[in-house]
Amino acid sequence: MKNTENSIPRDVFDHLVDLAAFALGEDEKNYLHDQMNHQLNAIQELEAIPLPDDLPTTTHGVEYGDDGKPALRNDEWVACTNTQEILTQAPELQDGYIVVPDIPTKELE
Amino acid sequence: MSVEYEAVIGLETHIQLNTTTKIFCSCKADSWDDAPNSNICPVCTGLPGVLPVLNRKVVEKAVLLAAAMHAEIQVLSFFDRKNYFYPDLPKGYQISQYDHSLARRGYLELPIPASADPNGKGYVRAVHIHKLHIEEDAGKTKKERNRRYVDFNRCGVPLVEMVTEPDLRTAEEAGQYLIRLRQLLRWLGISEGDMEKGNLRCDANVSIREKGSSVLNTKTEIKNVNSIDAVKDAIQKEIERQIREVEKGHAIKPWTLDWDDNAGVLRMMRSKETEADYRYFHEPDLLPLEISAEWQADILEGLPELPLERRARFMRDLQIPEYDADILTADHDLADYFERTIGLYKGDVKKISNWLMNDVLRMRNEWGMSMSEMKLTPAYLAELVQLVDEGKINITTAKNLLPKIQESGKNPRTLVEELGLAVVSDDAAIRAICAKVVAQNPVEVKSYREGKETLIGWFVGQVMRELRGKADPKLTQQILKELLK
Amino acid sequence: MTNLVNCSALELAEMVRARQISAEEILDETLTRIVEVDGRPGALDTAPAVDDEKKVHAFITHTEELARSQAQEVDAKIAKGEDAGLLAGVPFTVKDIFCVRGTPSTAASRILANFTAPYTATPVERLIAAGGVMLGKVNLDEFTYGSSSESSAFQPSPRNPWDLSKVPGGSSGGSAAAVAAGEGALSLGTDTAGSIRQPAAFCGVVGMKPTYGRVSRYGLIAFGSSLDCPGPIARNVRDAALMLQVIAGADRADATAATQAVPDYLREIERGVKGMRIGLSPDYFRITFPDPQSGEYVEQALPAHMQEAVWKAAELYRSMGAEIIENVPMPNTRFGIPVYFVISRVEAASNLHRFDGVKYGYRTKQAVADLNEMYRRSRGEGFGPQPKLRILMGMYVSAAQYSEQYYQRALKVRTLIRHDFENAFDPQGPYRLDALLTPTTPTTAFGMADVYGDSVMMQYADQLTVPANHAGVPGISIPAGFSSDGLPIGIQLLGPDFSEAQLLRVARAYEMATEKEEWREKKPSLLEGK
Ligand SMILES: [Zn+2]
Repeated sequence: MKNTENSIPRDVFDHLVDLAAFALGEDEKNYLHDQMNHQLNAIQELEAIPLPDDLPTTTHGVEYGDDGKPALRNDEWVACTNTQEILTQAPELQDGYIVVPDIPTKELE
Repeated sequence: MSVEYEAVIGLETHIQLNTTTKIFCSCKADSWDDAPNSNICPVCTGLPGVLPVLNRKVVEKAVLLAAAMHAEIQVLSFFDRKNYFYPDLPKGYQISQYDHSLARRGYLELPIPASADPNGKGYVRAVHIHKLHIEEDAGKTKKERNRRYVDFNRCGVPLVEMVTEPDLRTAEEAGQYLIRLRQLLRWLGISEGDMEKGNLRCDANVSIREKGSSVLNTKTEIKNVNSIDAVKDAIQKEIERQIREVEKGHAIKPWTLDWDDNAGVLRMMRSKETEADYRYFHEPDLLPLEISAEWQADILEGLPELPLERRARFMRDLQIPEYDADILTADHDLADYFERTIGLYKGDVKKISNWLMNDVLRMRNEWGMSMSEMKLTPAYLAELVQLVDEGKINITTAKNLLPKIQESGKNPRTLVEELGLAVVSDDAAIRAICAKVVAQNPVEVKSYREGKETLIGWFVGQVMRELRGKADPKLTQQILKELLK
Repeated sequence: MTNLVNCSALELAEMVRARQISAEEILDETLTRIVEVDGRPGALDTAPAVDDEKKVHAFITHTEELARSQAQEVDAKIAKGEDAGLLAGVPFTVKDIFCVRGTPSTAASRILANFTAPYTATPVERLIAAGGVMLGKVNLDEFTYGSSSESSAFQPSPRNPWDLSKVPGGSSGGSAAAVAAGEGALSLGTDTAGSIRQPAAFCGVVGMKPTYGRVSRYGLIAFGSSLDCPGPIARNVRDAALMLQVIAGADRADATAATQAVPDYLREIERGVKGMRIGLSPDYFRITFPDPQSGEYVEQALPAHMQEAVWKAAELYRSMGAEIIENVPMPNTRFGIPVYFVISRVEAASNLHRFDGVKYGYRTKQAVADLNEMYRRSRGEGFGPQPKLRILMGMYVSAAQYSEQYYQRALKVRTLIRHDFENAFDPQGPYRLDALLTPTTPTTAFGMADVYGDSVMMQYADQLTVPANHAGVPGISIPAGFSSDGLPIGIQLLGPDFSEAQLLRVARAYEMATEKEEWREKKPSLLEGK
């Protein structure tokens, strides 16, 4: 398996960068793109593994069993006592609102 | 050659459940009157390291709705993350259910009243439900001077998303669907179902095709509509727009349209060329949701007879007209009230229906309370109507008594006695008054005896006046005729 | 007088409860040790200094005041005759991936450098409630993404106390280095692919990854949510048991925290291994990785000294009455890394969505035109290369058009890996193992900067530890001697779900059997004479 066989096309890479909301310099882009192609090579191995059709997926390895499964939450109100402490983490706060730059609108009319 | 078109409409509704707390944290669900960002905690603001813990009541309420929509409730369902950036979504993903939702398939036999039928007859439209799942609501943002102000209070309010198949054919049908859905939500006690307050929200997918065709053409999606009338209005305008476009030979594009309620127009939001890539995957912070047969049975024990079933039963078993049945099943309390009343009443049930529709409902609305809060209980109403039937009081007296019962909480019989409103049917008492009237009016007596028998009414009136209207009219007439012979 | 910084947690708590020493005395001595060995804490935008190579640099944040008040509280309780808890006066550190109220909780990332947590993670809360004294937050790979701790945005990154030119491992490198250097008896780490066990092995200490769900993740800044396990790092097995005792158990704030009762991990810890079945698997004596040049898969046997440590341990267990089962097939071990490349990235990309500059953490200082630009700049400037790489990779393999090929497939291969363990541990199966004995890592600690930057090679250091994360089963790494160049070697014991008590017992048996061996006397060069 050669490195060159599996590579992520640049336009796909750029789309991912956009989806991930990263402003990147060219060098950084090149490094990341290159590393991704390396990783892609590593995961290609998965495709070669024969899998039975009825093989279930595993989302958590461990089996909880009936005695290990946490119960759902009761519908009881517990007020948070330090909401202010949460809000003070916000980069910009005004009149209790968290403030951000406006959302670009794509309204065409 | 003119083509006849029909619309193909599917509705995607979001229903806020009226639980005490949010879906994944212990903040209260309702923050209608709260200051911004005051009903929040580390979990619903998506702080680093926090985890969701599912509210049991959310599942129970969603299961009730699923059952009421005749949907198949899944023993095992999964939560998924729907990833996207938006400032009102603090985790950067919404916890929802994607390919293994709580319930699948279902239907509502939607009665379309004559008033909403172009043929004026009324019919039933079967609306199929594609899927029903639970998810969390996002917060709110508002725009001011080119900045966005974010309020997380609504983050994590439990929602049920219910998606219909494209089974609806007119804007009227869409309106009827929402009316019936709202009725059902309130009936089950799982949501306030108020579109104006945003606890029932609706997006509509609209396309048109030639009548009789079965193709599904490109659809547009209408968003941000917040009343049932607006939904009807927006859909109707969109159907008309699409017909105009097609007739001009233009293709319909898969736009998302924003309803401007003030202007009453649709505006294009963005072109929907490709489905946004939300990269759904199973939420690893929650175990699969298992609804055991036992738990499901427990929940469904609380499932009442449904409004449309009850409506049908009233019409079928009680021979109540459709109009009455509709009103009497408008809400669960009222339907219960009606049934309890007729259970205690020994006459024609239609009479109770009339009393309820004409008098009791008006009073309830004036007093602004629910049927279950009324001091005029079903037993009192049954007794009151019974008193009229027995001739103990006349109908005017009975109607005047309604607010007095409601004010005092006393039973009608007691009130009639206390206020001395009973019809006087004591032979001796009436006979004494009649004799007095006969003795005091010799001229009229003479005329009567000479053949002017229509004067009997005048005599009865005199007696009534003496007894302030409480005399039993039949008995009075009988005695008078005897005395005047 | 005993050198308190070298005492075990058990000894310290006992002495405090017996009023032989005070929690404050322990704290003072530990703080002195930190001043001696640790050097400057990691910080953003620091220039390297020559002196950095002579210190451990385990810390990002010292919480001396907090520690002081906790120690005083313990002493006050003791004075009043109250129960001061299982960890009375025991100093510990916390990997800076846990939120602790009122302290910077950075995940070793610029994007959280200014974040002060408004709440405390459940395991930390339990450590403090048990009388533990929190010394501070220790360094790690940025968002735990690495195996050397070098990717921290807070430099200098930690160094291996046994050889300061070597990495301490990662991502819980600061934790393992701190414990090895006597900067606290215990440290709370996290293990997503080996991030507790590998640095424990590199630093010659004990590290345990409990069963998934045994310890609450509430307050742990998530990486791979279906893989992450908080766990103890300690200098000996009994201390690890003691710490697990305190942090394990159900938590109403974590819907994946198992509710099984927590057994007494210390009660039977010294009852030995007689009659137990301990397995060895050839699949854990080699690693498979793509050749960096050709991309061809290469299968390579582990270095002889790594293998020998395991064989020697097996012989010891046999001599203690355990049955050694050789040739236990674990054929899907080699897929652990590729599966991990997919699953952990998908979860990580989603977990890191929340760092957007809106409500906490870093927001770009540059003027921006709109919200999208604010997102892009804040995330572009705030994340280092490792998080960016993982986010992009996660987005790629979970994109609608690739998800079936990669993500769904990886979840199925994960099932195969789980089957390997079920087969090995099945009480009715052919092997019926109580524990599987393996090397913890393919090599001893590598040099600073040796593999950093190559994300693939870095990841293969986890090949022997990551299968347990996929399967959810518990594992422990314990010191098993040194290589000829004086670096610690770790051996690993893996067991069935919730078998922590048994694993600790097997680990303790090895510790007892080697107690008198010469290598047990060795100390990190840094601490010679201390
Ligand atoms: Zn909350």
